Amino acid sequence: MGAIEELVTELARLPGIGRKTAQRLTYHLLQQPAGQTSRLARALDAVAERVGPCESCGNLTEEQPCAICRDPRRDAALMCVVEDASAVAVVDRATEFRGRYHVLGGRLSPLDGIGPEALRIEALVRRVREDGVREVILATNPSMEGEVTATYIQQLLSAMAVRVTRLARGLPMGGDLEYVDGVTLAHALVARQELR
Amino acid sequence: MRLERVVVRGFRNLEAMERDVPEEGAALLGRNGQGKTNLLEAIYYPVLFRSLRGSADAEVTAFGGPGFHVAAQLAADGGALEIAATYQAAGKRKRIVVDGAEVARLADAVGRWAAVAFLPGDVALASGPASGRRQYLDRMLSLADRSYLAALSRYRAALAQRNSALRQGRGELVEMFDAPLAAAGAVVVRGRLGWLEGAAARFAAELAALGEPGEGVLRYHGAAPLADPAAWPEALERTRARDLARGLTTAGPHRDDLVLEVGGRELRAFGSTGQQRSAAIALKLVELDTLAEARGTQPALLLDDVFAELDGERQRRLAARLVQPEIRQVFVTAPRADELPAGISLPRWTVEGGRASA
Repeated sequence: MGAIEELVTELARLPGIGRKTAQRLTYHLLQQPAGQTSRLARALDAVAERVGPCESCGNLTEEQPCAICRDPRRDAALMCVVEDASAVAVVDRATEFRGRYHVLGGRLSPLDGIGPEALRIEALVRRVREDGVREVILATNPSMEGEVTATYIQQLLSAMAVRVTRLARGLPMGGDLEYVDGVTLAHALVARQELR
Repeated sequence: MRLERVVVRGFRNLEAMERDVPEEGAALLGRNGQGKTNLLEAIYYPVLFRSLRGSADAEVTAFGGPGFHVAAQLAADGGALEIAATYQAAGKRKRIVVDGAEVARLADAVGRWAAVAFLPGDVALASGPASGRRQYLDRMLSLADRSYLAALSRYRAALAQRNSALRQGRGELVEMFDAPLAAAGAVVVRGRLGWLEGAAARFAAELAALGEPGEGVLRYHGAAPLADPAAWPEALERTRARDLARGLTTAGPHRDDLVLEVGGRELRAFGSTGQQRSAAIALKLVELDTLAEARGTQPALLLDDVFAELDGERQRRLAARLVQPEIRQVFVTAPRADELPAGISLPRWTVEGGRASA
């Protein structure tokens, strides 16, 4: 396989990128000044070499433990459980949450061969027991598999002296009731709140 | 809602076409194998984004072609609507665009437009296996009610996960999918039973109108209590050992059936071919009424060679019942104009070698 073909094949493996787009990207890169492509190659190498999961929370990091786990201003008694490391950045940027995280590394899905043992659930239980966690916030995705994963963890933690909560489900801000799907609307109705 | 213009490219044997469609519909005439049914299939594609014959998208793609594109321009009371679907064989990607905006989920586009198709193979609705009747229910109720479609897809997803856990023999994982299965499954059963309340009488009336002696009965075969999510835990508990042994879920609406009877006899086992054909037609007529009522607008009607098998009197009755261009758009295929029942006066399109011409 030639160098061009090899790059096209590698790029086409990426999510959301088909063969056509991979070809376009490859030819674009070939037309850039030499330094540009080398910088990209070095950046890819650096990511692959230096970034790995935090041994404590599973978040992606260059140092052990990660910056969030090291931060003394964060409340170690509050733990937000997410499916993937990408969700840590999202929750941390968008919310006032200043506790710690726990990255599961996926969700329960027998179809994909993922059972509890393939997720960082044992590590979660250990952290809850040893780190003095008072509240576990289950922030798995609102998909069926995400819900099932949340329920599984909730059952597992029910015997322990820890409060377990789940992110609320309901109406998106700035939305229009007419366009909200029935399931979400039904959840929003069940979880309605009193105005005071 | 009426189809005003249709665009087809790379679809089966059809030549690329972009045509205005007459308000009343069209009679598609031509010898067998020229593409009449393929054209009906293309017209129906923007309804469910699936072949009406149940073919995979790859099979629908013109032989050796890169994919296909179908677009429907529709005129509704409230204005115009355009639905387009593009399938790329490489990567098996399907893109659906409604009024210029790509929809994220297929379910968001299903049901924007509705049509009912009568196909020669539909007699299997009465004579064939339960799967055909479940498909009938699911397709109709999905087009009639968006919440049914949403529940059905959640049910199928939960079922696939649960069955996978069963095959792996992991009881503790199986249990985790009981709750989503029950929540969605109850909505599916409730939707079917709710439909049956009105449909049973309609079915009997349609069958009588088709000239079939003996009372027509429509019955739901399955666990009706499962319409209540609270009944599921016990039902799943009862079958758990068997499910684990077989590696599949044996309770739930995916195993249910719609039983058709005439004069106290089950049609599937004891009906004559004529009775079975009438019952299948009656079911399709109920589908037409169900959709018209639920959507507040008449669905289009696609008739593929359905008159050929009927005697003259039945042909005349059915044509009079169905082909009413003033209330709904109708597309009907026949080899020659003189094989259409008398009284059908639709604009004629000749289909030859994959090309349709007025």
